[in-house]
Amino acid sequence: MDTYVILRRSGWRSPEELGEAAARSTAEGERMSDDIRWIRSYVLEDGAGVGTVCIYQASSPEAIRAHAATADLPVDEIVRVADTVIVRPDPVAEAVAS
Amino acid sequence: MADLLERGDLLAQLETARAEGGRLVFVGGEAGVGKTALVRSFAAGLGTPVLHSACENLTTPTPFGPFLDLGLELGDEPRQVATAVLDELRRAPLLVLEDVHWADGATLDALRVLGRRLEATDALVLATYRDDEVEGDHPLRLVLGELATTRAVVRISVPRLSLDAVCELAEPHDADGGAIHRLTHGNAFYVTEILEAGSETLPETVRDAVLARASRLGRAARRLVDVVSVVPGRAELWLLEIVAAGELEALDECLTSGVLHADGDSVAFRHEVARLAVERAVAPHRRRALHGEILLALVPTSDFSRLAHHAEEAGDAAAVLEYAPAAARRATEVSAHREAAAQYARALRHADGLTAGERAPLLAAYAQEAHVIGRHEASAEASLEAIEHYRRLGDTLQEGALLARLPTTYISLGRNADAEAASLNAIELLNRLPAGAELVAAYCMQASLRMLNRDNADGVVWGQRALAAAERLDDEEGRSFALNVIGTSHVMAGKIDRGVGFLLRSLELARMQDNEVRINSALGMLGSGLGEMYELELAEIYLREQIAFGEPRELFVGYAQAWLACVQLYRGRWDEVAPLARIAVASRSRISEITGLIALGRLRARRGDPGVQEALDQALELSLPGGHLQRLGHVRAARAESAWLAGDGEQASEEARAVYPLALEKRHLWFAGELAYWQWKASALGAAPEWIAEPYRLEIAGTASEAAAAWRKRGCPYEAARSLGESSDEESLLLALAELDRLGARPAATQLRRRLGIRGPRGTTRANPAGLTARDLDVLRLVATGKRNTDVAAELVLSPRTVDHHVSAILRKLQVRTRGEAAVAASELGLLQDR
Repeated sequence: MDTYVILRRSGWRSPEELGEAAARSTAEGERMSDDIRWIRSYVLEDGAGVGTVCIYQASSPEAIRAHAATADLPVDEIVRVADTVIVRPDPVAEAVAS
Repeated sequence: MADLLERGDLLAQLETARAEGGRLVFVGGEAGVGKTALVRSFAAGLGTPVLHSACENLTTPTPFGPFLDLGLELGDEPRQVATAVLDELRRAPLLVLEDVHWADGATLDALRVLGRRLEATDALVLATYRDDEVEGDHPLRLVLGELATTRAVVRISVPRLSLDAVCELAEPHDADGGAIHRLTHGNAFYVTEILEAGSETLPETVRDAVLARASRLGRAARRLVDVVSVVPGRAELWLLEIVAAGELEALDECLTSGVLHADGDSVAFRHEVARLAVERAVAPHRRRALHGEILLALVPTSDFSRLAHHAEEAGDAAAVLEYAPAAARRATEVSAHREAAAQYARALRHADGLTAGERAPLLAAYAQEAHVIGRHEASAEASLEAIEHYRRLGDTLQEGALLARLPTTYISLGRNADAEAASLNAIELLNRLPAGAELVAAYCMQASLRMLNRDNADGVVWGQRALAAAERLDDEEGRSFALNVIGTSHVMAGKIDRGVGFLLRSLELARMQDNEVRINSALGMLGSGLGEMYELELAEIYLREQIAFGEPRELFVGYAQAWLACVQLYRGRWDEVAPLARIAVASRSRISEITGLIALGRLRARRGDPGVQEALDQALELSLPGGHLQRLGHVRAARAESAWLAGDGEQASEEARAVYPLALEKRHLWFAGELAYWQWKASALGAAPEWIAEPYRLEIAGTASEAAAAWRKRGCPYEAARSLGESSDEESLLLALAELDRLGARPAATQLRRRLGIRGPRGTTRANPAGLTARDLDVLRLVATGKRNTDVAAELVLSPRTVDHHVSAILRKLQVRTRGEAAVAASELGLLQDR
């Protein structure tokens, strides 16, 4: 599996909506666990809405799109990660959503 | 029951599936984790009749084995088998099918059909499998993948036991739960074996635990257990009466101790892990002798798969050579080609003592089956060996006949020069003999090679020669083959109606003869040929028909899946591309791999997703050895497109130029058209010939909106929007942009936005006030016309589950409670007008 960054800009109007999307994302992710693994997400202040940058491991970009389609998540751009450099652990401890 | 700790959730999930009805639940988990215990406990709690069957751990299982064990009247085809099972499920609404990771191909096909048809019933099917053994291109993995979107199919996974659970189990035995958990990692079977073995020191492996338990049996019981261990699956009592008459009195002891359990008129180990542990502990010479005795006892059953297994284990070459080919022929009859190939391979492993005249037909039969299941490398090797035998024997007819068949395999491997040489050699040999069906086949093969090379006129000439000979000889198969090649040659020359006419006659003839291979081939040529000529609607029909026909018969349909992936891409149904392309890429056929990779590469390029280069580099690398326009034209066009979308016009034109002269030489309307188009885009084209495919001709002529209309007529929304994006009036450009956004074509949309001087939308949902996604809107438009979710799903080619998601998202986003209110709100917001 490769690691991917997924941009979902202004996908939701409120944090509550995002929360529901996260639940769907988790449920679908479990169903497709051979193909896709959600690592973490950063929730963006994105104009009037809420967007995310998500880190996933996946067997292919198509697996990410299939997961997004079934869980009804927007996808703006998928970028493959070539390497990871971790300098410090993530500053936020609480879980964020897709 | 002690080993059902921590299974409450799983039992509840099974109960939900049962209550919903029409479900096929795949119960996964490692060997010994407790899958059987789970499904048995669930079944026992129901109080309804239960059908129960298991797949056996034979190297080459009996086709439809587990369904045969149910004692049903089956028939030879997966569909008939599925129907028989569905009928039986009306009587007993639960079927437990164990260890489907060992299932034969025919059983898996029936399971596929069952999965699709189960939803309309109230029945529940539980299929257990070892998820850690289903990896790579394991056939079950493909089935699971294909059924993944089927609503009726559910997958659950049985986890290992926790430390707490193991301690709870250990307590009554006064054993150290922590130590046992460390050793077993919570594998339920292993835990139980250790506890039941009750030895002072903990057994190091599950095998030791099993053997420690068995060692507490008396001598006779131990010998009986050994006998049972060499019979995969279950040992029938009548069989034990013959091969273990003296020990049978100890059966009670084996059952009471729990080492064996009774299952109707048979006995079996509690678990396959236990059987294997005991079997491996039997001394080799004794094991061989036991297999020999079992073989003799089984002879009257005529179960050739079982006989071949015991013959091989007994080291009895003569018996292997008798039963393995018989099992192979039986497998071929029911289209279980994978098993047939494996049985011929088994026979060949024991063929050292055979004469060349005896070996050659076995090799030829193996080559045939190996080709059918896509093992082209092995097939070619076996063919060559057989040909050499026949040559030395002076059997020119057989030598020529095999040589005439060999090019098909070579073509699948991309070895075109070898194919050509074999074909000419075959014609030369067979021309020395009186004309017969073999010569017709050799002519047909030469015609095919010309057609594949896109020398269409030569394809027709050789095809007509074959047809004339076939008609003189009353050779129906030859006629069907010849008509096929003539038709395909016409299609490739752009004479679509004429070509389809010939192909349909070929199909009709093949159907009258019930000739599976020729039916499959005619459908395949119709599908892939029409796909290459952008007759997409027809192509899709024939490709789907080929898959539906070929798949249950284990005929090779990987190429049809690859082409269907391309066709769906060109028709704008992008979500359907990847699953099809993936199956094709995983097949062992080079041409399917190339075509699947092209579909995948183009899909990614058009979406702006990563992984374009690796797919198209691999496709090119696989295409180069063959050197055919058919592959190179397709690959280079895809590479030109991806270079253009990546903003590299020079590279786009270079890719196109690499194969453009060949496309002109063969007068290929579509390849020449597309390759000219990319050079034109890169301002690197002088003039294109008039005869290239219409949409490209119109584009290059600068009539963008006419080109767009021509693409729309062919059902290609992306190409249509791309053409429209070339026009000069802003209204057309905005329309093109909306279409590209709808398709999710980010790079093309970005290029167009740049031309229009507008910044990109910050998010996909910005376009409308309610925050509906493009997909939401698609769904909403149909819901607003009063359609039900299932109809919406069918129309948009989505799963009903996805549509459910969208409908609830729509209700939420529009802040309404009913679908009617949603339609009103959408209309007020003006959401229903565009498009």
